[in-house]
Amino acid sequence: MILLQSQSKYLLQVLTNRLQNLDKGVELDCQWIEFNDVRFNVQVSMKNPHILLLSLSLPTPPPEAMFVGGLPVGAIEAIKATYGTIVQILDPPKDSYNLTLKLNFNKLPSNEEAKQAFLAKIASVREVVLGAPLRIVLKHLASRSVAPDMDRVVALVHRPDESFFLLPQPDKVTVIYPMRFKDSTDTVLATSFLQEFLEARRSAALSNAPLCQWSPSPPQELQGVPEEALSANAGFVSFVIYPRHVDGKKLDRTVWNLSTFHAYVNYHVKCSEGFMHTRMRRRVESLIEALDHAKSDLEQGRKVETRTSFKRLKGPIHPYRRHKAIQSGLVYFDYTGTGHGDGS
Amino acid sequence: MGFAGNVEPCFILPTVVAVNDSFLNQPRTSNKSNWMTQYSAGVMADLDFFVGDEALSKSRSSSSYNLQYPIKNGQVENWDAMERFWQQCIFNYLRCDPEDHYFLLTESPLTPPESREYTGEIMFETFNVPGLYIAVQPVLALAAGYTTSKCELTGVVVDVGDGATHVVPVAEGYVIGSSIKSIPISGKDVTLFVQQLMRERGENVPPEDSFEVARQVKEMYCYTCSDIVKEFNKHDKDPSKYIKHWKGVKPKTGAPYSCDIGYERFLGPEVFFNPEIYNSDFTTPLPAVIDKCIQTAPIDTRRALYKNIVLSGGSTMFKDFHRRLQRDLKKIVDARVQASEARLGGEIKVSVSLVFVVHFCADGSLAPWRAHVLILPLVPTIGSQRSQPSHSEICSMVWRISACFNSRVLYVVASIDMHNPSRFKQACHTKAEYEEYGASICRTNPVFKGMY
Repeated sequence: MILLQSQSKYLLQVLTNRLQNLDKGVELDCQWIEFNDVRFNVQVSMKNPHILLLSLSLPTPPPEAMFVGGLPVGAIEAIKATYGTIVQILDPPKDSYNLTLKLNFNKLPSNEEAKQAFLAKIASVREVVLGAPLRIVLKHLASRSVAPDMDRVVALVHRPDESFFLLPQPDKVTVIYPMRFKDSTDTVLATSFLQEFLEARRSAALSNAPLCQWSPSPPQELQGVPEEALSANAGFVSFVIYPRHVDGKKLDRTVWNLSTFHAYVNYHVKCSEGFMHTRMRRRVESLIEALDHAKSDLEQGRKVETRTSFKRLKGPIHPYRRHKAIQSGLVYFDYTGTGHGDGS
Repeated sequence: MGFAGNVEPCFILPTVVAVNDSFLNQPRTSNKSNWMTQYSAGVMADLDFFVGDEALSKSRSSSSYNLQYPIKNGQVENWDAMERFWQQCIFNYLRCDPEDHYFLLTESPLTPPESREYTGEIMFETFNVPGLYIAVQPVLALAAGYTTSKCELTGVVVDVGDGATHVVPVAEGYVIGSSIKSIPISGKDVTLFVQQLMRERGENVPPEDSFEVARQVKEMYCYTCSDIVKEFNKHDKDPSKYIKHWKGVKPKTGAPYSCDIGYERFLGPEVFFNPEIYNSDFTTPLPAVIDKCIQTAPIDTRRALYKNIVLSGGSTMFKDFHRRLQRDLKKIVDARVQASEARLGGEIKVSVSLVFVVHFCADGSLAPWRAHVLILPLVPTIGSQRSQPSHSEICSMVWRISACFNSRVLYVVASIDMHNPSRFKQACHTKAEYEEYGASICRTNPVFKGMY
């Protein structure tokens, strides 16, 4: 899996399950979190099994982002446009949530395929709600105009108290992300990952991809944005989106990919850590093999009677630490059988 | 795996990873450009894998994927695959940022501490989790039965799964490892026995379907009887009341068929109490094994262990299974007490007031969901009032799970909402502790730090 999907797997599973057992009344109340910023809650009551309440709690917006009544600009219109009459917006929303949708299963299209497609659309509600302002900007780009009431720099929330920035222009939109990571290792890995990203963009196969840039300091365009919003420990990434990236069906994918860019980088940082660990484990194994060969030669030369061999401990010890231990000559091996390495 | 505060887990996946090996077997060359393609192929292969049901379907549809089972007999064998499995669980299924969630993993009671240490290293170093707790499944099963009125974590957990049966004594939250007993009879054997009985009677079941039919018969119709002979008589006197009918459709021809279900209804579960009717190698009944297990435990814990026997796992869900177990166990203990009284010649009156409490609990690996009221009081005002799922619901859930897992141990990932203070968080090992003391902190996982 390289790209993250826009549907929430669990929400889709809950919806499909409900659809299959519609006549069975089930009490359902569950909640979960996605990428740490959106909190979901699904409720079904015994009385009305065909009604499903879906509540969302959105990340707390930083002061510079545009929010109307706790929702991103244009979210309500976007919901109405995507879901039509099957979904109603409840006002006020459920306690401690920003938005509650009421889904009526009886109004679903009768065609089985259309039903599934609609449920999949509901499962990507995150894209619809949080991506609404981005979608407005990109739609204007597709028609090569700028929304009249937009500022020069538009801030959009993508993580709690964090935002990314858009610079809408008639022929292109620049998207700038300040990248922040908590862990120092992650920061280093993310920085090099992003630089790799630029390298990859330069190859011929990707010449149609959006232009992309990385810089350790805030780019020129972000002048006038408050200081706090610009503190980033992994630099700034910017993409330049042209109308060709948003025409037709590409729009949805672009909106999703841009609004979850941080989660995407985070996922790949963790993946590369896992990849490195795999490599380290393999290296440790080969080093142990080499040591084993050396040991048996030595033993034969000295005619030692007890045959012991270096053996990899079953499982434990982090490959990274093990690797360092081997480099620094620390003994990190265990003789077969005994637990404390004093067995020769 | 799932999130705390929900009644059911979000996903139930078999622990299997499908890896695309086709990249790895390419011949090595020193050519620079070739190295570049190989390098990127390696990177792609790193991401080209699937877990769970997707893995199973992928391996069936395409030959380039190989299945790897990271867990064998409850122990992690392949850490590469395990790390990938966790990675997909977190990012693709739960879709959460591991940096902001406390994690609860479960393990089998026989896991060595080194393996726990290694798990801790992966969780803290790769995923940067803020807190981790590695729970032993039987202890969780005990904890699931825990309520505020009865707070004890001492008891015997009888875990009868689809592929393995364990009797695990737990004292004050610690597993007494030397007294763990395992039995080679499990849920699958019940199914096989039912299948065998139906085949020998010549029921009209297509052979390719017979295991599946036997499994469903076991799940829907089997019960535990109090006495085999009486039960045979009952069935013979009033067959219309006891004999059930099964209707099915032949998978190949689509022709309908029907068959009767008779004695196997009570003979199936009977293999636990009279194993000799099924298997001539192993003849110790389950109650005797439990008694032996308690007798090998330290003497000061035995009374408490007799008092609290917890059944867990799908195959303990047969009707009246707990009554039968309780009665047989009482018989054994009473016989011993009488023998000791006779030996002492009535001089000292042995007062026995053992109360057996045998109760149900969901599968240990499911226990986080049963136990959420205890360990994870979500939002204290709302969460703690939530009703527990009814018994039948749990039954169906556990059946589903045992069927899915075939006794492979499920590693549960329950992530806990950061914003909710809970006692669970105190019991966790935190990232700061890990950085201060190293991975050895994961060796022991005290139950509910700060409660005693």
